[in-house]
Amino acid sequence: MTSLAPTLSAPWEALVVCLLLLVAPAIASQKRSPLWLLAGLAASVAVALFAPGGTAAYLGISFSAVLHALVAWRWSRTGAVTLAVSGVLALAIGTALHFEQPAPAFALSCLAIALRAGVLPLHAGVASLCERAPLVQTQQLASTIALVFVHLRHVDHHVLAIEWAPLLVRYGSLAALAAALIALVQKDLRGFYRGTTAMHGGMLLAAVGAASIGNFAAALLVAVAMGLALGGLGIMITSLEERTGSAAFGGPGGRAGAFPRLAASFALFGGAGVGLPGTAGFVADDLLLHALWMESPASTIVMILSSALLAVATLMAFSCVFLGRTVSSLAPDLYPRERVVAVTLVSLLLVLGFAPGVLLGPADAFLSGPP
Amino acid sequence: MSLVIRMALALAILSPLAGVAVVGVRVLLGDRQPGEATTARAIATGLIASVLASLAVLWVFLGITGQAIDGDIEFGDWLRIGDFVIPAVLRVDGISVTISVFASVLTALIARFSRTYLHKEPGFVRFFVLLGLFATGTQLVALAGALELFFAGWEIIGISSAFFIGFFHERGEPVRSSIRAFATYRFSDAGLLIATVVTLEFLGSARFSAFERVGTLEPTQATVLALLFLLSAMGKSAQLPFSGWLPRAMEGPTPSSALFYGAVSIHAGLFLLLRVWPVLEVSPVARAAGVAVGLATAVYAAAVVRVHTDAKGALAHATLAQVGLILAEICLGWTALALAHLVCHALLRLGQYLKAPNMIHDTHRLGHEPHGPSQLERWAPKLADRVYAASLHRLRLDDRIDVAFSPVLGVARLLERADRWVRRTLSLDGAAS
Repeated sequence: MTSLAPTLSAPWEALVVCLLLLVAPAIASQKRSPLWLLAGLAASVAVALFAPGGTAAYLGISFSAVLHALVAWRWSRTGAVTLAVSGVLALAIGTALHFEQPAPAFALSCLAIALRAGVLPLHAGVASLCERAPLVQTQQLASTIALVFVHLRHVDHHVLAIEWAPLLVRYGSLAALAAALIALVQKDLRGFYRGTTAMHGGMLLAAVGAASIGNFAAALLVAVAMGLALGGLGIMITSLEERTGSAAFGGPGGRAGAFPRLAASFALFGGAGVGLPGTAGFVADDLLLHALWMESPASTIVMILSSALLAVATLMAFSCVFLGRTVSSLAPDLYPRERVVAVTLVSLLLVLGFAPGVLLGPADAFLSGPP
Repeated sequence: MSLVIRMALALAILSPLAGVAVVGVRVLLGDRQPGEATTARAIATGLIASVLASLAVLWVFLGITGQAIDGDIEFGDWLRIGDFVIPAVLRVDGISVTISVFASVLTALIARFSRTYLHKEPGFVRFFVLLGLFATGTQLVALAGALELFFAGWEIIGISSAFFIGFFHERGEPVRSSIRAFATYRFSDAGLLIATVVTLEFLGSARFSAFERVGTLEPTQATVLALLFLLSAMGKSAQLPFSGWLPRAMEGPTPSSALFYGAVSIHAGLFLLLRVWPVLEVSPVARAAGVAVGLATAVYAAAVVRVHTDAKGALAHATLAQVGLILAEICLGWTALALAHLVCHALLRLGQYLKAPNMIHDTHRLGHEPHGPSQLERWAPKLADRVYAASLHRLRLDDRIDVAFSPVLGVARLLERADRWVRRTLSLDGAAS
């Protein structure tokens, strides 16, 4: 009975996080998402997380990617095509697993993760979503977490995963460094969001690489922390832009006076993204660095520098947009529905920061076992 | 007794955080911002609880009513995955208890002082929330029994410090200064983060008690580790070449300047070195580097303080000179002297910083005694002129760091251009921005 408990709880916990990210934009935004879409996404993510076999799990991922692509098409064709390609890749991985070909399945799964997480230079689609449809990007982060979960469970136990680990770790950390540098010289909030997302993408790829040598829980926590922090950031950016229009860094700033709750939420999500102590981001960074060190000390140092650069970029973005001479606004601060979303996501980040074992204990037991 | 000290330790760290949580929840969920009285009461309650708890820890440590307790106090594991463990362990010893009591009392006093000082200031709530966060960070740093917990507190101090510097954000300069200070912190924090990972790999545990096994390390390993700790301490305590952020940090409100840059935060780097002394002890290279850096900073700061024209800036450099001397003392192995020097110096500076706004008034009242030429001006007037000019420009430290960092920004801009090209080429939506 004791061994059964963690086996049951890991997919459930991942499902809760994914569902929260799926419904958060729908609650926060005035534009209601169709119920069939949310139901379809929730069902496909649940199938992916709970399916006993890799083929069914990747079919679930593929279906969710197609649904995301349909939604994204209206705002960003680049993003929609990227999501559709990742859906096709998931289908191919499922087929490969069906015919017991784990090596191509692993390679394609890494490619799918890189596409969905926006790893440089495969980031055009996700970058376009960040700029044109941050709420769709938030929703697709939910199924990216599910994709990482499925990858860790079904394809990351293959010998190819161990052989590719050094490559993924090194590539991921270099991509993260490049993205952090790009984030540092952005001139508006959406550009910053794009750079931050790409940096986290590199981080996630490195974590997935390091997972193959036994750090499954670290990779999952990196994905979850990334999803919650970037998801919250995307929602806050959308909320701000609905009130003030686009937020260029050269503008007047000073929005903290008119929107103090929005500013506080933005700071918390941005901080969680760069490892603010007390949030899931801090534990995720710590775990990731220990995992990376086993594979490549140089990559660990690169990752630490990337995180430092992104932290500076985040403070700069916050300062440019929210600090400065107070600009009065007729628009209200966060609406109750937006506040509920912000508080829920921040609470989850804090719970996972103070008690990471809640997620990681069961997840490690579940993912380390045979697929 | 074990339960008492556990509760006291937990309360010392968490009670200020509870005050922050109460105010934070009201800010995020309430219809109106909490008022000054509510905010100050919530935070002050947490701070007073922290003072009482740290005094209780001192009581138990000294063994006044029972057996004295000294060493690691276990709270289980923060995280355990297979063999990897982040322990929730706090440490009770002479250094940790001294710093815990000292920091909690000073923070509570500053909170009381600030309630009047910042009355009707638009950022009143923000100030007290940051003060509560800072108190949590300092208690965590003081009492942590492992590097992971220590780093969490260290980061909280850095973040609250950056927000305090940019407190008067209506003006551009405080915001720029806060970004510069934060960037310096994060760069030097990288040293501590790498040191944490390296310690775990070299010694099998990141507990401070694991440093007792430091004799098993190769000399090179010990030196690398000690230099990483020294780098972190140099950034946090504004030692050369990272001294440029300290005078800029005076843009913040006077009570926070007093607490951070007069009393507690500026000494955090020195506290780190006292904590990891066993590593420094076996690394003559790092100790020599520490002595050189400390003395160079003391000379630099002593020169600058003589030409500074504003009270807080002059105090910042006077602080820096003493901090440099304490660093040299630690690296020379005079750790007991360094701890006493640290505490006395912090108390003196706290009073001076809080009195700084009255300085003009005092000068009018007490008069100003003109100085004659110094010994250097008498014996080597040309050298004196050069020293004067260099001190006036603070050795152009900030400019030199900007020049050193400019290639990084150049690479960033190149990458941004390449990124834009890639996105434009692959875009199906028209031109990417």
